[in-house]
Amino acid sequence: MSEQTLTMAPPSPMSFSSTDAPTPTLGFLTILQDVTGWIGGYLVTNSWGRPLEFRLTTAVQPNRVQKALYGPTLQEYVFADLIGKTLVEKSSTPVSLLVTDKPPLWTLRKRISTPLAIVRSTPEEGLACADLIPLEHPRARHGLWLPAQTRSDWEIVRALLDQVDPALELSEPFSRIREAVAEARKLGAHHRAA
Amino acid sequence: MPPELSQSHPCEDPAPIPSSSGVELEVQEWSLSLPLQIIEGTRWGILTAPRLREVRLLDDAPWVRSLGRLEPPIRTEGWKFPAPLLESTQPAQPSAETLSDGDPPLPPLPDVETDAFGGHRIRLQPTAETVHVKDRLLFLLQPPLDGLFQGRQLQVPFAPFPYQLEGIAFLVPRSAALLADEMGLGKTCQAILALRLLFYQGVVRRALIVCPKSLVHNWTRELKLWAPDIPIEVIEGEPEQRRTAWLISNSPLKLVNYETLTRDVEWATDSRLFYDVVILDEAQRIKNRDSKTAQAARALPRARSWALTGTPIENHPDDLVHLFEFLDPGRIPPNTPPKRLPLYTADSILRRTKESVQSDMPPKIFRDVHVDLTPAQRDAYRRAEEEGVVHLNALGDTITVQHVFQLIMRLKQICNFDPLTGESAKLEQLRMDMEEIAESHHKALIFSQWVEPLQILARHLEPFGPLQYHGRIPPEERPAILERFRQDPHCHVLLMSYGTGSVGLNLQCANYVFLFDRWWNPAVEDQAINRAHRVGQRHPVTVTRFLTQDTIEHRIAEILESKRKMFLDLVAQADKPSRFGLTEEEIFSLFDIKVRPRRHPHTINP
Repeated sequence: MSEQTLTMAPPSPMSFSSTDAPTPTLGFLTILQDVTGWIGGYLVTNSWGRPLEFRLTTAVQPNRVQKALYGPTLQEYVFADLIGKTLVEKSSTPVSLLVTDKPPLWTLRKRISTPLAIVRSTPEEGLACADLIPLEHPRARHGLWLPAQTRSDWEIVRALLDQVDPALELSEPFSRIREAVAEARKLGAHHRAA
Repeated sequence: MPPELSQSHPCEDPAPIPSSSGVELEVQEWSLSLPLQIIEGTRWGILTAPRLREVRLLDDAPWVRSLGRLEPPIRTEGWKFPAPLLESTQPAQPSAETLSDGDPPLPPLPDVETDAFGGHRIRLQPTAETVHVKDRLLFLLQPPLDGLFQGRQLQVPFAPFPYQLEGIAFLVPRSAALLADEMGLGKTCQAILALRLLFYQGVVRRALIVCPKSLVHNWTRELKLWAPDIPIEVIEGEPEQRRTAWLISNSPLKLVNYETLTRDVEWATDSRLFYDVVILDEAQRIKNRDSKTAQAARALPRARSWALTGTPIENHPDDLVHLFEFLDPGRIPPNTPPKRLPLYTADSILRRTKESVQSDMPPKIFRDVHVDLTPAQRDAYRRAEEEGVVHLNALGDTITVQHVFQLIMRLKQICNFDPLTGESAKLEQLRMDMEEIAESHHKALIFSQWVEPLQILARHLEPFGPLQYHGRIPPEERPAILERFRQDPHCHVLLMSYGTGSVGLNLQCANYVFLFDRWWNPAVEDQAINRAHRVGQRHPVTVTRFLTQDTIEHRIAEILESKRKMFLDLVAQADKPSRFGLTEEEIFSLFDIKVRPRRHPHTINP
């Protein structure tokens, strides 16, 4: 065989089989607060918890006018409309289920068509809201809650979670988000974003 | 476009209108343009015919003051990561067929904490060399490693130990990594799982593993075990077959031995090839930077360079420097003093000892058996030594270290067996020990520097089902010998040479190791011992070192012991390291000879 006849074949895909049905993608949405304001962090993973996309916001600090204008609806507005909706819409990876550890974000469900579930980050963290109803599932060891207004999500969420790898506990990715947000801010990513 | 909030006042003063509560009230309107009627007339109100004029007041400063956006500003920044190759399905379990393909039943290992979620999670961390934000985030956002092996994602025959997970977390983010765990801690398993993770992440698509020839079978077996879903191709056979394997095969993972790599260096370094990662097993093979093997390894086109070795420094700190010429060329400045080496290398080296990672590892018990030579051996020894020393002294300053070596070899062989009668004090002791071992259904490894003593021992140990594994056994027959030793309950002893049997083999089925004669370098002896004393071993391992009284063996053993201490000092990055093999001066000092060659001392490694 001459040199000219040699062709470099690309590496063959590994012999990983694939199923026809797509597996769910999960969007983990949280909001952190520091002196600069509220910062949104959003991690999209596959059903095994592996990262597909990550997005964060600049710090949101409402001014006096905005506080006066929005009054008691400010937090809901900032969390759901401003940070949550923006992150979900800006993300290029569609998700099957949104998971958050911030109860005020439950109203985001009214603004998007994706089912939303709320987990506690820690067992100690209290969660009481008349608008939420609990759902037992082994993927959420510290408790899982759904907006009461969307009871129809129940079966969908349960079915989605059944497809999630047993090693993935739904509160775990939030610690990743916190680390990643801290790292990105340390490296000045939020300044570039702003 | 968010609306601009504007405030307008139909007077010159743009101040806000005070509200009744005293709080400044900001009148807010959208930007509007209102028609305004202005009535003109005399000061005293005499109306004349009205005239209408439209005036725009609201658009121009100072009549208009912007209060900013109604919505708080927000921007986002995002990163999309390579899609993992495995998205949706359960990887193939190592099938029973795979595992039973001549492989022994896996040793049961202690379980890791089943409820790892509550405990310490082991995560990937970016290193200092990870400079891009996206790369750093990709590491931080990976799920904890312990979870990977507990779910359906990466199925493994048994869960890796926590220290092995830490080893994987060390390897994955590094483009230059030296995993220098003590022998027996599972470097192969850690490297394979780290490689598998990178394949799954889509970060690695082509990889090359280089290992000693004697370990190709072992690597193949370990790869089947720990990464059954990664197709491998062993580069071997006739030249045309190897050329195809190098240049045309699209196998994502290739395995080659050092000798073949050196022979095929032209193909291996072809400009059309590029490896995302190259792993050198038993990387001390490239410690001589000018050797063809080292040159071939350094020439491999690659993005990541990993090296596995339990003995990164066999003789001199330069061994480590030469390893880094493969791992990260240029990292260590020329003429760096050994004391400063850790400054450049520490971040890329991970070394653990059995004691440090596994308190429940069965102990390794050393037993130095001092035997007296038989009368026939003693006579032969005394005669050979006297004649030898006389001969050496007669050489004057033409003496070389090789002359001394010849005498040492001769004396060591007599310490094993008397050349005339075949008597052996060591053999007598060994036979007694083997009877006890066989009766208790245990197995033993016996190491010697030479093949001949092993062959003699095989005859004398016939009742114990001896098997031989050394350089005169054709390579293709060796795997079957190891399998038989593992499986056959009647085979109680495996006779091995240091050169062939000391590296990379997993023989946890043996609980006894005999060093029939001693090697020159403690690191090689440790390698041999750790064939049995390694991860998976459930019982204490007894190491018997034969030493004949008042002989060259005793003198060598004392020097080696001091060398071992120095090695440990360096590995612990303590004080200035020294040489570890025997120096020329030390070899001359073994005998009462006064002559010396006219050269500078250097380290000797037979």
